[in-house]
Amino acid sequence: MAATDARARILEAACDLIAADGIDAVRIARVATRARASTSLVHHYFSTREELLEEALVHSYEQVGDERFGDDPESRTATGALAEAIDECLPLPGAQERGWVLWVELWLRAVRSPELRPVAVRLYGRYSEWMQSVIRAGVESGEFRSGVDTEAAARTTMALIDGFGVRCLIRDPNMDLERARSLVARELAAELGIEIESLVVRPMEV
Amino acid sequence: MSPRPQVDHIRRPQSLEAAAEVLGERGIGATRISDIAERAGTSVGAVLYWFASKDDLLAQALSFEDDRFYAELVELLAGEHSPSERLAVLIECSSAGGEWKLWMEFWTRALRDSDAGIARRQLDQRWRGQIERIVGDGQANGEFASGDSGEIAATLAALLDGLAVQMTLADPEMPSERMSKLARTVAEGLLGCTLPAAPVAVAA
Repeated sequence: MAATDARARILEAACDLIAADGIDAVRIARVATRARASTSLVHHYFSTREELLEEALVHSYEQVGDERFGDDPESRTATGALAEAIDECLPLPGAQERGWVLWVELWLRAVRSPELRPVAVRLYGRYSEWMQSVIRAGVESGEFRSGVDTEAAARTTMALIDGFGVRCLIRDPNMDLERARSLVARELAAELGIEIESLVVRPMEV
Repeated sequence: MSPRPQVDHIRRPQSLEAAAEVLGERGIGATRISDIAERAGTSVGAVLYWFASKDDLLAQALSFEDDRFYAELVELLAGEHSPSERLAVLIECSSAGGEWKLWMEFWTRALRDSDAGIARRQLDQRWRGQIERIVGDGQANGEFASGDSGEIAATLAALLDGLAVQMTLADPEMPSERMSKLARTVAEGLLGCTLPAAPVAVAA
C-alpha cells in the first residue's frame, strides 16, 4: 500500500514538473524533492530517467482516460453524450489542460522512441474505441443518420480535436475553446445528420 | 578573437538541412550543436555563427523545411491546375510524411517559449493561408460551394495536423493513404465537391 503510494506520488510529481517545465528540464532530484522521496527511492522504482518520464506520461494519460472513458455520461441522449465527449477532450483550464500538455509531450516523445510508440498507439486505440461507441449509440438510437462510418467519424473527430486543441493550448490568437468546439461540432453535425446547436448546448466550463 | 572564416556564408543552407534532419531524428533535448556540425560537415563555430540558440536553430530549421514543402508544392503545381487539383496535391503532400516531427517539436516549444510561439504562429498562418487561397479560388470559379473560407481553411489545417499526429506515431489505423482519404472526404463535404485524384505524383 505504502509502496504503491510512493510510486504514484513520484509519477504525479514527474507529471507536474513535465507540465510546468517541459520534459527536457525534468531532473530526478527535483522529482524526488517534490514527491517527498529520496532519489534512491525514485531509482528503486525507475531504473532510468527515461523510464520515469515515459511512465509518467502514460500514467497521466491513463488517468485522464479513466476519467473520460469510465464515467457514464450525464446525458440520456447520444447527442448529449457526444456533446459532453467533445468538451471533455478539449484543453479546458485545469486538469484537462495539464493532461493536454502531457499528451503533446507524449506525442513528441513517442515519435522518437520505438518502445513508447506502441504505447501511444494503444492509447489512441482506446480513445478511438470510446469515440466510436459514443457515435454508434446515436446511430443505434436513430438520433444519427444510419450508415455512418463510425471508425472514420471517430478518427476525423479525434484529429480535429487534436489539431484545434493544440492551437488553443499554445494560445494561438486565431483559435480559442469556443471556436474549436463549434468547428468540431459543425463537422460532426454534418456527418451525423444532426443540428449543430444540439452539440454546443452547454456553457463551456472555462 | 580570430576573424570568422569567410566561407561561412555558404554553409548556412547545409547547416539548416543538417539541423532539420538531426532535430527530426532526436528532438531538441537530445541534439548537440556538435551533432549538427558533424552532419553538415562543418565546425561547431560555423553552426553557432548563424544561430543564436538551439531554439533559434529549431525555428530556422522548421522554416527551412517549410519553405521546401511549399517550393515542392509550387513545383508540382507548375502549369495550369484547377483549385480542386491543387487541393488534392496539398492533401497528398501533407499525407506523404515529411516535416511533421519538427512541427510537433515546435508545438511543445511554443507551450513555454514566446519566441517559438511567434515563429510557429507565422508558419501556421502561412499554412492556413495557403489552404484559404485554394479554397477562395475554387469558390470564385464555382468549383467549390460558398462558405467562410477562413473557417474552412482553419478546419482543414487542424484536421491535417491532427491526422498527421496519428500517422507520425505509425498508428496502424492511420497509414498515409488513410490520412489522405479521410482528409479528402472532409474537404469534399466542406466544399460540396468531388476532388480529382492528385494530377501529379507525390514522392513519399
